[in-house]
Amino acid sequence: MRQVLRRPAIALSALVLVFALAVALAAPWLPLPDPTAMAASPYEPPGAAHWLGTDNFGRDILSRLVWGTRLALMVAIVSSLISSLLGIVLGSLSGYFGGWIDGIASRAFDVFLLIPTFFLVLLIVALFGSGIQYTMVAIALTTWPRSARIMRSQVLTLKSRTYVQAALSAGASHPWVLARHIVPNGLAPIVTDGTILMGLAILTEAGLSFLGLGDQNATSWGRMIFEGQRHLRLAPWMSIFPGLALLILVAALNLLGDGLNQALNPQLQRQSLRAKRREPVDRPSPQAAAAPILEVRDLRMEYRLEAATIRAVDGVSFALPAGGSLGIVGESGCGKSSMGAALLQVMAPNAAITGGDVVFAGRPILSEGHPVRIDGQEAIRTIRWTRLSTIFQSAINALNPVMTVQQQLVEAYLLHRPEAGRTAALARIGELFDVIGIPRRRMASYPHELSGGMRQRVMIALSLLHEPELVIADEPTTALDVLIQDQILGEIDELRRRLGLALILITHDMGIVAETCERVAVMYAGEIVELAPVERIFERPGHPYTQALIASLPTVSGPRRVLSALPGEPFVPTGTIAGCRFAPRCRMAADICRETVPPRVITGEGHEVLCHFAEASR
Amino acid sequence: MRLRRYVLLRVLQFVPVTLVVIVLNFLLIHLAPGDISLLLAGENADPAYLALVREKFGLDKPFLEQLWRYLVQVASGDLGLSFRSRQPVLGEILEKVPATLLLVGTSLLLSVAIGTWVGTWIARRPGSTLDSAVSFGAVALFSVPVFWFGLMLILLFTVEIPILPAMGMTSLDGPRSGIGYVLDIARHMVLPVAALMTVSVGQYVRLARTSVADVLGEHFITTVRAIGFPERTVLQHYALRNALLPVVTVLGLQLGLVLTGAVLTETVFSWPGLGRMIYEAILARDTPVIMGAFIVMSLTVALASLVTDLVYAALDPRVAL
Ligand code: SF4
Repeated sequence: MRQVLRRPAIALSALVLVFALAVALAAPWLPLPDPTAMAASPYEPPGAAHWLGTDNFGRDILSRLVWGTRLALMVAIVSSLISSLLGIVLGSLSGYFGGWIDGIASRAFDVFLLIPTFFLVLLIVALFGSGIQYTMVAIALTTWPRSARIMRSQVLTLKSRTYVQAALSAGASHPWVLARHIVPNGLAPIVTDGTILMGLAILTEAGLSFLGLGDQNATSWGRMIFEGQRHLRLAPWMSIFPGLALLILVAALNLLGDGLNQALNPQLQRQSLRAKRREPVDRPSPQAAAAPILEVRDLRMEYRLEAATIRAVDGVSFALPAGGSLGIVGESGCGKSSMGAALLQVMAPNAAITGGDVVFAGRPILSEGHPVRIDGQEAIRTIRWTRLSTIFQSAINALNPVMTVQQQLVEAYLLHRPEAGRTAALARIGELFDVIGIPRRRMASYPHELSGGMRQRVMIALSLLHEPELVIADEPTTALDVLIQDQILGEIDELRRRLGLALILITHDMGIVAETCERVAVMYAGEIVELAPVERIFERPGHPYTQALIASLPTVSGPRRVLSALPGEPFVPTGTIAGCRFAPRCRMAADICRETVPPRVITGEGHEVLCHFAEASR
Repeated sequence: MRLRRYVLLRVLQFVPVTLVVIVLNFLLIHLAPGDISLLLAGENADPAYLALVREKFGLDKPFLEQLWRYLVQVASGDLGLSFRSRQPVLGEILEKVPATLLLVGTSLLLSVAIGTWVGTWIARRPGSTLDSAVSFGAVALFSVPVFWFGLMLILLFTVEIPILPAMGMTSLDGPRSGIGYVLDIARHMVLPVAALMTVSVGQYVRLARTSVADVLGEHFITTVRAIGFPERTVLQHYALRNALLPVVTVLGLQLGLVLTGAVLTETVFSWPGLGRMIYEAILARDTPVIMGAFIVMSLTVALASLVTDLVYAALDPRVAL
């Protein structure tokens, strides 16, 4: 939809501007009556002879409108040019030299930015008389700090770039480096802002002319409205048309600036992609059955991107017994976090579950990719956070920055147990804080006042709030240093045993899995390529990818290394895929690997491998 | 007591703005063509008054001493005398403040309320047709020349369908007290407030939209959704609360534009406020009043930005005090 409506906005506004420019330049040669001379009788309404009518002096309004375009564009271009130039020079000097120069200069930008343009213009015109040149200078004088600020921050980021440093160390002078390497690269946002500035300048001049302070010798749209105001009842066309012209020109400038801004900031666009989700389906309430806590069959999830659709989770199946623990390992981008999100059914707007069944403790929550509804309520909502909860990655952002930790926990508690009351909520939270090892007095802190480790503990407390049966922990310790990592993992493990909860631990670190989990699923390009008990996978890894992961693990006391130690780029599952997804990076790859999709081979008790060369157990 | 330190520091930053505004004012009178005493006393001033003005501004003294005198004068609240009424400019300005405050305050409040509501509403579906259409409309709105829009409103609601008054703040023969008086003013306010709102409502729509959409993309929203809060609560209680912070800051920055709009709107609707006073002063070339208005307006804008910064600091616990 964006493409349809927003790109045309740029095209349309560019068209309007080109047209205005052409009209302004061609004005003297157009077959129009003299804009300042009487062309017909006064107050003639729009008609065949005078398309837009005539004013109180019988002057042709169309002709005055065309000549007014000249003035509007001149004001726009000259004042925004002076303003931008001033801003570029002062802003780049300030950013480039830094230190106290920058301190004083940026203070000055702030001060000048506070002076209201229009009132300074009023004063200048009142003191110096109404000449168009004063208006333009006054506009530039109050708007330059906008470009100065933009330029300054541009220079601050650009000056540390390698090519700038290289030029400097090659002996280039400061002015040369600034003019040649820095300013040209930082101009784009100035140009964007310049278009908006032009709109502002036009409106300022029009406002001034409307107050009767415009240049008396110029034909200005604002002045036309000023004159039209007195004849509003008799000849409304005198004011309607110049106002429309103003609106169209200024809107075109603003829309252009807006569109350019979005084109320059791609992340503004990405938000708007949405994937179509499947409708919920109704299922009868299940009879209580002692089943595994979680059963996943052929789960699929896709991301919609600008150019392609990525099958982030592509047919994943596994089961987890109550109280069991499963580690999901893989490089970033392998789909392990997406799988966690799909299980919880909390996904980015551009993601959708496209297939698969999920059953939680005998209760279906996903059926052929459709969310299940039981007794009119989405099944996932009845268990999420009360029976199935999660510890999110990066607790820094997973907590609300403007609420205290206590507020957030209390609200989450009361949401599912509204009858419990605040006191009970606080008691439960205090209890959890003791378990998790946070002093109770830190309850009233804001997230940013806590250390990374503390925040992660708060996140764990939040997930355990309602004594869930299964917790999905997505990289719960990635952002922390190794010592605290071990501590928190130890705590999670101990809690799991003590509370009897089941755990799915999503991580990129094979070492963490070895310490915490009973079973391991290795994911690559959206698929589980190997699933096995933890001892077995370290003893007899069946998949070449798993072997590479284990080989990249450090020895007993060495530092933990990340999985990216593996050479080659991860495979992105999109389009139709022939053969093995790991083949481009596999040291054992043969022709068959590139031609035929590998089978899922059972190589032992609870051990399956997705590889042509895996040896089936007999 | 870091809060007190922050407030103090921020208030101190008010000083340079004041200085720049006053010095700029002073420099401009000196650069202007013509006799300064005539500018300050008016073309038709009698010799006695001229002499008085010369004496007061120390016009025969050296430049720097004049500047010093002027600074001290303004700092003590003396903005000079209007040469039409021979009354202190500051008093004249203060007298007009309530009418303008009513107009500006009402339209700002409505703009923020309506803008935030619409912006939040469309932020739920960024990229939808509705979103694009509303964003387009918002840009168009702040491209409208406010005085022209005012005229068009008059044309529509006073000339074509005469249902609303277009002039002044009260009816000549209307009631002067009680509920009738309030209603009379309210009726007179409809058109000017609507006109003035075009300056800011589009900005707030866009601002609320971006800011709510940004917050909705943050991780903690995923958390509260996962916990199971209903979408209404997520939007109103969590997203809006965090998204309102940027709206607060812009309120201060916007004020300059809104005051500009107020001058133009008041002129169109003969609203008896500051804008109208400035307009009349301009017509009469009453320089002291225009200078006073410039100082007062600039300081109001600076003050507004100061206040919004402080409010922001009070609302957002993350601001390092
Ligand atoms: S199927 Fe072939 S390419 Fe794929 S993992 Fe096995 S050996 Fe490697």
